[in-house]
Amino acid sequence: MDRRDFLKYSSLISAAGFVPEMAFSANGSTPEKIVVLVELKGGNDGFNTLIPYMDDAYKKLRPNLKIDERKVLKLGQGDMGMHPRLGQLAKIWEQGDMAWVQGIGYPRSILSHFRSMDIWDSGSNSNQYVEDGWLTHVLPRVKHGLHGISVSNDGGSLGPLHSPKLNSVSMQSPHMFVKQSQAIKNITPVNSTPALAHLTQTQQQLYEAGLQLRSKMTRSLRAKKKRGGSKGVLGHSLESVAQMIIAGIDSPVYKVSQGGFDMHSGQIGRHNNVLYQVDHGLSRFAHTMKQHGLWDKVVVVTYSEFGRRAAENRGGGTDHGTASAQFVMGGGVRGGLYGKHPNLNQLDANGNVAHTTDFRQVYATLAQRIWRQNQHPWRGHTPIPFI
Amino acid sequence: MGKLGLLKARHLVSRTSIGAEWETIQRYKNLNKRDAIIHTLNAVSYQTPPMPKTSSWGKTIGNRNSMARQRNMQRMSKSEGKAIQNWWVNHLLTTRSPFLERMTIFWHNHFPSNIEGTKQPSSLLAQNQTLRRNALGNYGKMLFAVAKDPAMLIYLDGYKNVKEDPNENFARELLELFTMGGTKYYSEYDIKEAARAFTGWSIDDRSGKFRFRPELHDQGIKTFMGKRGNFTGDDILNILLKHPRTAETIAEKMWSEFINTSRPNPGYTRQWAKTFRNSNYDIKTLLMAVLGSDAFWHPSNMGGLIKSPVELTIGTMRALPYRLRTNNLAHNLSLMGQSLFAHPSVKGWDGGESWISTQSLMRRSGILTNLTRGNLRKTNDARMMAHMPNCSDEDLITWLLPVTPLNPLPTEPGRQRLVRALVLDPAYQVS
Repeated sequence: MDRRDFLKYSSLISAAGFVPEMAFSANGSTPEKIVVLVELKGGNDGFNTLIPYMDDAYKKLRPNLKIDERKVLKLGQGDMGMHPRLGQLAKIWEQGDMAWVQGIGYPRSILSHFRSMDIWDSGSNSNQYVEDGWLTHVLPRVKHGLHGISVSNDGGSLGPLHSPKLNSVSMQSPHMFVKQSQAIKNITPVNSTPALAHLTQTQQQLYEAGLQLRSKMTRSLRAKKKRGGSKGVLGHSLESVAQMIIAGIDSPVYKVSQGGFDMHSGQIGRHNNVLYQVDHGLSRFAHTMKQHGLWDKVVVVTYSEFGRRAAENRGGGTDHGTASAQFVMGGGVRGGLYGKHPNLNQLDANGNVAHTTDFRQVYATLAQRIWRQNQHPWRGHTPIPFI
Repeated sequence: MGKLGLLKARHLVSRTSIGAEWETIQRYKNLNKRDAIIHTLNAVSYQTPPMPKTSSWGKTIGNRNSMARQRNMQRMSKSEGKAIQNWWVNHLLTTRSPFLERMTIFWHNHFPSNIEGTKQPSSLLAQNQTLRRNALGNYGKMLFAVAKDPAMLIYLDGYKNVKEDPNENFARELLELFTMGGTKYYSEYDIKEAARAFTGWSIDDRSGKFRFRPELHDQGIKTFMGKRGNFTGDDILNILLKHPRTAETIAEKMWSEFINTSRPNPGYTRQWAKTFRNSNYDIKTLLMAVLGSDAFWHPSNMGGLIKSPVELTIGTMRALPYRLRTNNLAHNLSLMGQSLFAHPSVKGWDGGESWISTQSLMRRSGILTNLTRGNLRKTNDARMMAHMPNCSDEDLITWLLPVTPLNPLPTEPGRQRLVRALVLDPAYQVS
């Protein structure tokens, strides 16, 4: 192979071509709408989160895992109810600020955690391999500067915000970010190798976001050193998100995650626990937003790589499945039950249900109704009228 | 073949060692490519420092099976987990066979089992020894060893996989990560059938070693990858080793480890895979092909890899006379996203560009700043200088950075100041 072939084959040339407009303005203001993405890692069991408690098939498929009708928090619609540990969120449902989307999935679903999460993150078909997060197709046209912030303990993945075309930032907390970003110098991105392009672009994003956070948050973080009573990784992350929204950081998207949803065995106790984390973290977040008059601005959206199998297994757990239930909430959300619950009497060869709502309908809804963008890759997917 | 010279010698050493040690570079400078690669592959000692004491499987099994004693399990695995992490970090810092350790980390990332998922640090230590022993040996042999490795049997629920209730976990990852790669080349049905073939693979209660329990094995006919038979787990592994994708999966990972962060170039990886398969999975043969390729030596790939947290911190401490005050290096590695024996998932660390996020970049810069902190006024710190090479500033820059520095160099003189500036330059983060 000669040098020309080498360059043709290696993707050196293409990777670092496009650098997004940087100049984050430190005085950009709170966006009109803020989307908070909540990733439920491991594949959340939709059937035991939004429960078809009257469905005989449900009771038959899950002799040990089924949630008793008397314990289910009934929606008063469609014979569906919420898991008993979602008590605080049930109040938000009653106030009409919560939408459940049922049967959410995609055709020819993949049961690998990694591959399926890639599909959700990129908004692609199950046979496409796309590296950029789905927000790449929307946010660059919405605004310049900062596009998103991912808050997690391990500085985890950017998911939907991952793209060289987006200015996305990951952090443990704004407190640590403000402290540690001080030492970071500004840099002009270089293109000599894709590795250096990524590195220098990240450093520039870090520098710019650091400037904005320090200018807007130094005082508020000093005033409020201790945790506001939030618990768990998700609770802390959501508290961080709330602090940044209140401080007027101009990020249109935040991403947080809760792990531990992959329950092949011993599901009852573990599911109780993680759903409690979700209930606690999100209800506190909603409360804080309401206190500051920001609830109408925020739209919280949960997602997970897949649901669980319809039938329980012998280990008191459930294996990887397909369609699941997710929810959307916020002051501007039209509460209600959307989509059709999957038919538990019609399972495929693997014992999985068929999806009834495509997850990209949610992306299309957000693109069109939150960010007013009609040019996006999911125009074939009908928006869902929860906004 | 000509001599490597400084530039190429530092390229080879920085990508095969942990930290570009000056002495090694000086030795390789005068060798030709082939001899330097052969030396890298063969100058290897398998010795490790004495291992920490850990509780055996036989001792922990009572707690493992009792709901009430989960807290004991948690406490034990946490403290012993720290001990094994520190043990490996210490070995990485002091080993005289850094290439072997680098490859052991490579396989540790290909076949991950972690503390949280196993709660059995004693098995993780044993697995670590298995990976080291096979790291430059034969991939087929290693695959068989790992499939029967107790830590892997715990981590992917293999020991719970029985005829009456087949558990797909190991079979799925075996196909998706360890052999075929991806999800394109097999069906959900293949996973289920493979899981049936592995039923009965278990751990002996007393010895904690692999044990086959025929009474729990599904003796029925299985259909796997278009073949039918009363397959055992061994049969499944052999079928997978006959499939061309298995060698390609490893070759693609080699690309990301040694060439650059872009998507593997099939023009190269298919060729390497063929060589690998023809050698019956001899890892040194594959490494010869990778390290000898023009892709490896191409100037456009210098600076094309991102240093892992281990390379960045331990490599700096091995190559330069810097020491961390605190000895919580293992903890620092976890803050940068490379906690040993604690990968985030069975996929291991993604590596490449994902080593760098805004969060990890702050940590990476922070630790290098701490490491190189010192009295810069004392330009002739004797202890420090005794451990620095006696060479020109130009050679020093070539030694420490794979590409020209991105930041301006200090205007004030002083070797210590210059070294510090180079270590803190963004170009130091790549290899």
